[in-house]
Parts: sequence; structure tokens; C-alpha cells
Amino acid sequence: MKTVNALFSYHRWLAGDMKHFEFSDAVLDTGALHASVEHHAAGGYASFEGWVRDHNDGRSVRRLEYEAYVDLAIKEGERIVAEAITRFGVRHARCVHRVGSLELGELAVWVGVSSAHRAEAFAACRYIIDEVKHRVPIWKKEHYTNGDSGWVNCERCAQASDHTHSHEHVDHHPPHEPHAHPAGLQVPDYSRQTILASVGPEGQRKIRASRVLVVGAGGLGTPVLSLLAGAGVGTLGVVDDDTLDPSNLHRQTMYSLADCGRPKALLAAERIRALNPEVDVRPYVERAAATNLVALSAGYDVLVDCSDNFSTRFAVNDTAVQLQKTAVVASVYQYEGQIQVIRPNGACLRCLWPKATSDGTVGNCAEVGVLGPVPSVLGSLQALEVLKLILGLPSPATHSLILVDLLSLEVRRLGTKQATECVGNTCQRIPQQPFISDTEPLELLARPLQLYVDEGYTLIDLRDDKERAADPLHVEHQCILAATLSAKPQQLNSNSRYLLLCSRGQRSLATTKAVRAAGISSAWSMQGGLSRAKKA
Amino acid sequence: MITVEIQYYALLREQAGKSTERIETMAKTALELYREVQQRHGFSLAPDQLQVAINSDFSHWDVALENGQRIVFIPPVAGG
Repeated sequence: MKTVNALFSYHRWLAGDMKHFEFSDAVLDTGALHASVEHHAAGGYASFEGWVRDHNDGRSVRRLEYEAYVDLAIKEGERIVAEAITRFGVRHARCVHRVGSLELGELAVWVGVSSAHRAEAFAACRYIIDEVKHRVPIWKKEHYTNGDSGWVNCERCAQASDHTHSHEHVDHHPPHEPHAHPAGLQVPDYSRQTILASVGPEGQRKIRASRVLVVGAGGLGTPVLSLLAGAGVGTLGVVDDDTLDPSNLHRQTMYSLADCGRPKALLAAERIRALNPEVDVRPYVERAAATNLVALSAGYDVLVDCSDNFSTRFAVNDTAVQLQKTAVVASVYQYEGQIQVIRPNGACLRCLWPKATSDGTVGNCAEVGVLGPVPSVLGSLQALEVLKLILGLPSPATHSLILVDLLSLEVRRLGTKQATECVGNTCQRIPQQPFISDTEPLELLARPLQLYVDEGYTLIDLRDDKERAADPLHVEHQCILAATLSAKPQQLNSNSRYLLLCSRGQRSLATTKAVRAAGISSAWSMQGGLSRAKKA
Repeated sequence: MITVEIQYYALLREQAGKSTERIETMAKTALELYREVQQRHGFSLAPDQLQVAINSDFSHWDVALENGQRIVFIPPVAGG
């Protein structure tokens, strides 16, 4: 029955009449929904179900009615699911929301995502439900046990939007509760900066017209984002694939303890929308790397590197040089920091550090520690440099490396010269191979090997003859001893994807690290090895 | 014998346990000077992982040192 459903749904999907986002006035059939996102290339599936609960805001709820502004809601919902598919690279994603009257315990909203790997499935699922709650105009009427009832806006629309869809369509909807708009009709006021002679109304127009991409929403990124949003930068992109951890909060004070576990890019976007609804903020929950930065940077004038590792920092540098854009780059170490503005045809990071620096040679914040205000100072300097660029103010940070020692409060400016090999987009030092991500997971889940073969992985058995004879593999694979591959990882081809196998997953993990260190990023170890795959 | 003031940043400062020192040295170049202090403080970074600046400008490692100069050794930093 399930197979028939799946095939039916899949053919409907292929025929183009399956929607990514839809409303239903009938009870949702989770079996059919699940089947509609099944795919042979998917190694995992994540789902979220929102249920009608028996209380809200201290009041006892008996049942609910959902109402949506359907035309607008479907458009926005489709956009959200499409964004999730593109950003996380998942196979299928779908969201269905109920409308009409619902009893306690009924399924109100369903999100399902299938993808090759679990991390993307979880992230895309979370993205969809968070964004749907935030952006799609849906209202619910709560019927309380005492006989009263009241209309409530969807979770965050009430907090965040004071001038967007909820007001535009106010005539189509039941009235909001008066306290649903705590921000009232407040509008941004830039007067404290426009009274500066160097800003004025013309400068404010320039700020409004500017588009800035911030890579990293951590210690450096959060002050950059807050200050640029506050200043009224028209478009702010935020790239970060990380989730918030409690250890971030001493320096990333834009966030709250309750936010831990959620993607920072989405959290930052929420804060920015609350701070200044005029900013068009675009979160990208993905890791910035040489492979995606060119596409990500397309709609932006200035790149701000706030990452915490060399591979991303060099990737931002290389993208800026190739696309002839300006990048404001900073980094911190314990009580000090460095900042550099990279202009088209000026000195870049590779002029300064010709031997591209690999991660692990000097520590990052997690490894060596940092005092919270240090990245805030450097991030504030980055925001300042961006505003100076937009306003056309002179900056000594151009053609210089600025060293800031916050223990001695000494600032040193060292002149940088462009290397002869490094001239704009013809820079000879930028590698042709994409820079390798150092946080791509090393391990993939243990599951039947044929699934990996079907997904296009080349399997490599690292075990010795004796082990192989005792427990032979029955799928297509190659045999290379772990020691041989660690000594000569170059025999692998960076255009293929490799899954390394041993009996318990220890040798394969060590060998994967050696292969990655040799610059081949497309190798993974199977977690727990063959013994765990048998149980899967 | 010349006297120079050395400034250390980041990992070098941490390993030297100080951010500046004034030393008398026989070193003829920045590279010789780095080798000398590397020995003394046990610096883990090789010269090709660093930048050197003399007074306020980046310099080459083989430039001859002069009495009274300020030599700055700078490692790249990664944190954010």
C-alpha cells in the first residue's frame, strides 16, 4: 500500500501537479505525506508535526480554527520550501498546513524533508517550519474551555512585522489583538547619523542602496550585522552553517540562551528584522566556501569576512579578488585582532600570506580562548570600515594591515604592498581547486552499503587480506590498505566521492583525516564501520 | 652588535610570554633575528608562516637590520 502511494505521489510529482506548500481542510494522512517525499537517493528523512495543544498563554484551549490569506500564503510557502531545497541541497521537501476547525491533538502542520544526509534533512525541516511560522500569513482562533475565543496571529508575524503583509491585508482578516504589535508604528530614525556632515540625506540614500554580505554570524559577525542593520543598510546577507552554542554567548550577545541549537543565520535574521524592518535580510544556512561564494556574492557590493577559520577567510578573499569586489576582513586572537580592507587591484590576503595558511597552525577562539569584547571591537571596526566605504570616506585600513592590541591598547598600521603575481582577477596565487572545508563532517552514517553505491560513492575497503577473507563485501568496491592510502592519498581523485570502510570505523576515520589533509575533500568514513552497517 | 626592539603578536606573544622586548643581537637580517628568538622562546611557527615588519612597513626576511629599529613578527590569526 505504501509503495503504491509512493509511486502515485512520485508520478504526480514528476507530472508537476504536486505542490511544495499547500493547505488542506481535511485530516492529514501522514503515511501518504511521508511517501510523497520518498526517494531512492535519499538516505534520510526528517519531519516536523505541529499539533493542537490544550493550552496557550495560560489559557485552556478546547479547539482551534485556522484561517489563511491563501493566495499570498501559498506563494510565500512555495518560496520558503524552494529556498530550503536550494540552500540545503535536499531531495524533496514539502509542507502542508491545515485550515478550518481542528480538535485537540490534531495535526495542524506537517513538514517532511528527504535528503542524502541527515544534517541537511534536519536543517531544512527546521528552516521550513520556522520560516512558515514567521512569514506565512496564517491566523488561528482559539476556543477556550470557558467559552471565550480569540484570534491570534501566527507565532512571529505578530512580533516582527509592523508594515508588511499583516497590515496590507488587514481588511481580509479577523482583527488582531491590540497587544499583538508591541512595536506599534515605530519607524527607524537615522537622524543621529544623518546630522553628520559626511552622511546627510545623500549618505543615507547610499547606505540604503548598499548590499553587504556578512560571512559568519559569530563574535565578529554579530556586531557587524547589528550596526549595519541599525545604520539602515538596504540588503544584508548572512552566511553561517553553524548552530548557536551556550559557549558562544559571552561574545555573541545578540543571541539568547533559549536560542541554543538553532541556526545562527536564521537567529541573526530574526534579530535584524526586529531591529530594523527596513532591512532586506537574507539568511543562508550554509558553509561559505570557494564552491558557493561566487554565487552567494552575486547580489552584493561588499563582502565582510567574519569567519573563524583560514579556509573560509581565503575563500572570501579569492572571491572578492576574482569578482573585483571589496572585502573587509578581520580576525581575532585572545586579546588582539587584525583588520584589512581588500580593494579591487589592491593587496589581498594572498599578497600578505602567500603560503596559504592551514587551519590548526594557530588557534581559533574555541581552541585558545578570547575575551568577549575583543571580537566586538574588531567587528565594530569592520562595520565602521563598511560605512566608510559606502560613504566614500577615506580609510587608512585600505592598503594596510591594522594590528589592534587590546591589552596595551596599541594600534599599529603596517603598509601592505601588492604582490606582482596578484593583480585583480588574474591573481596567480588563487588556487584552481576549491579550498577545502575543514568542518565538512568526516563520517557518514552506517547503513546498507548498496545505498551508498547507488548514490554514487566509490567504496574503499581498507582492511587486510585476512579480515577481507573472513567477511567479504558483496557490493562493488576497491581494496586499498589503510596504511597505503594514508601514505599516498593522491591516488584518489577529487572529482569522485569516496566512502572508506574498515571493521569498526577507527582506521577509516584516521585515513579520512589523512586524505582530507592531502587536499581531497570528498572522502568520508563510515561511522562504526562494517560491524555497525550490518546492524543497520 | 645592534640593539633592536621586537614586538610579538598572537601565538608568538603567548609563547614568548611578553609582547615586546629590547635585545642586543649579532643578527644581520630579520631571518637571523627570528632564528635567534625562536631558539630562545621555543616558537613553533616557521618564518614562512609569518610576516615581518620593520618600523611601519612589511619587509623581506633578508633585509639588513640597523641599530634602533623596531622589528614586528606577525602570525596570521584565525578567530572570529
